[in-house]
Amino acid sequence: MPKQLFFTKILNHLFAPAADKLLVAVHVTPVSTVAPITNAVSMELLVFLMLVVYFVWVRLTLSVEQPGPVQHLAEMTNEFVSDQGEQIIGHGYEKFTGYLTVLGLFILVCNLLGLASPWLTSPTADVTVPLGCALITFVYYHYHGVRSNGFGYIKQFLGPVWWLYPLMLPIEIISHCARVLSLTVRLYANMFAGDLLTLAFFSLVPVGIPLLFLGLHLGVAIVQAYVFLLLAAIYLSLAVAHDH
Amino acid sequence: MRKLQYLFMALAALLISVPAFGQDASGAAAQWVPLAAGLGMALAAGLCGLGQGKATASATEALARNPGARPGIFIFLILGLAFIESLALFTFVIIFLKVHA
Repeated sequence: MPKQLFFTKILNHLFAPAADKLLVAVHVTPVSTVAPITNAVSMELLVFLMLVVYFVWVRLTLSVEQPGPVQHLAEMTNEFVSDQGEQIIGHGYEKFTGYLTVLGLFILVCNLLGLASPWLTSPTADVTVPLGCALITFVYYHYHGVRSNGFGYIKQFLGPVWWLYPLMLPIEIISHCARVLSLTVRLYANMFAGDLLTLAFFSLVPVGIPLLFLGLHLGVAIVQAYVFLLLAAIYLSLAVAHDH
Repeated sequence: MRKLQYLFMALAALLISVPAFGQDASGAAAQWVPLAAGLGMALAAGLCGLGQGKATASATEALARNPGARPGIFIFLILGLAFIESLALFTFVIIFLKVHA
């Protein structure tokens, strides 16, 4: 039986049979039938709950006359993402702000969760969570590419002249799939390496010095969330761009 | 003549290394794993550092010449650093997979 965190234990205690049935229904064999919910999934659910509570709270305490601190925080986040969107995507960025904000906040909170307390871990240090984010981004920007360019979206996968088409199409398809790989591995490896680095230095010097690396890890966690947001925005801007 | 000398020296170094790989049982190969991992990670980290240093140097230079262009430069700097860094991280992941396999 794999090692479980506190929150994972609660979830498994409550939902283990249901999760087993769900996994059998999609033909996946869980590592352990007693604890089918992994730490990464439970931490992801925790982040999800935190974000939902945050958004609902902001919505309920919304006021024009007396904005509270939570509303200021939400407005700052929205302004920041809108600024990025305007700079990168340009005209018509407004409809992507929601997705980009949620993506950035989710990854940021996921990254910071591992630093918050020893009873929690970063779900992004498990390869499946960044992969999920990357796949959703992949589907999302292709969907919007098709929506804004119609059938002409295929022109982005073809070269400038007709005799280059058979050469360019496979190259473009591979490069679009490589985006998913690079998004996943960048986030996963950064978070994983940060944890590993702190641990390695903790085994060398158990006092003081590892704290520096925790500080470094904090910086990396914020920068990586920003980079993921930025790359999602850039892929969106490339997909919705109109070639004339 | 000088080039030939280098070539033969390189070949000699290769020939010396062959006996080491000659006793290739799975147990004997395993002892090279830390060495290979360290060398691979050192190469990746060093070259990644060179690349990031070059990118940062150009960005600061551009910023000193034209402080008004800060937001645009900042985005490209962060993006470039992320892309360069991800190459070192690919190496890290490959090493991690191979060492734990």
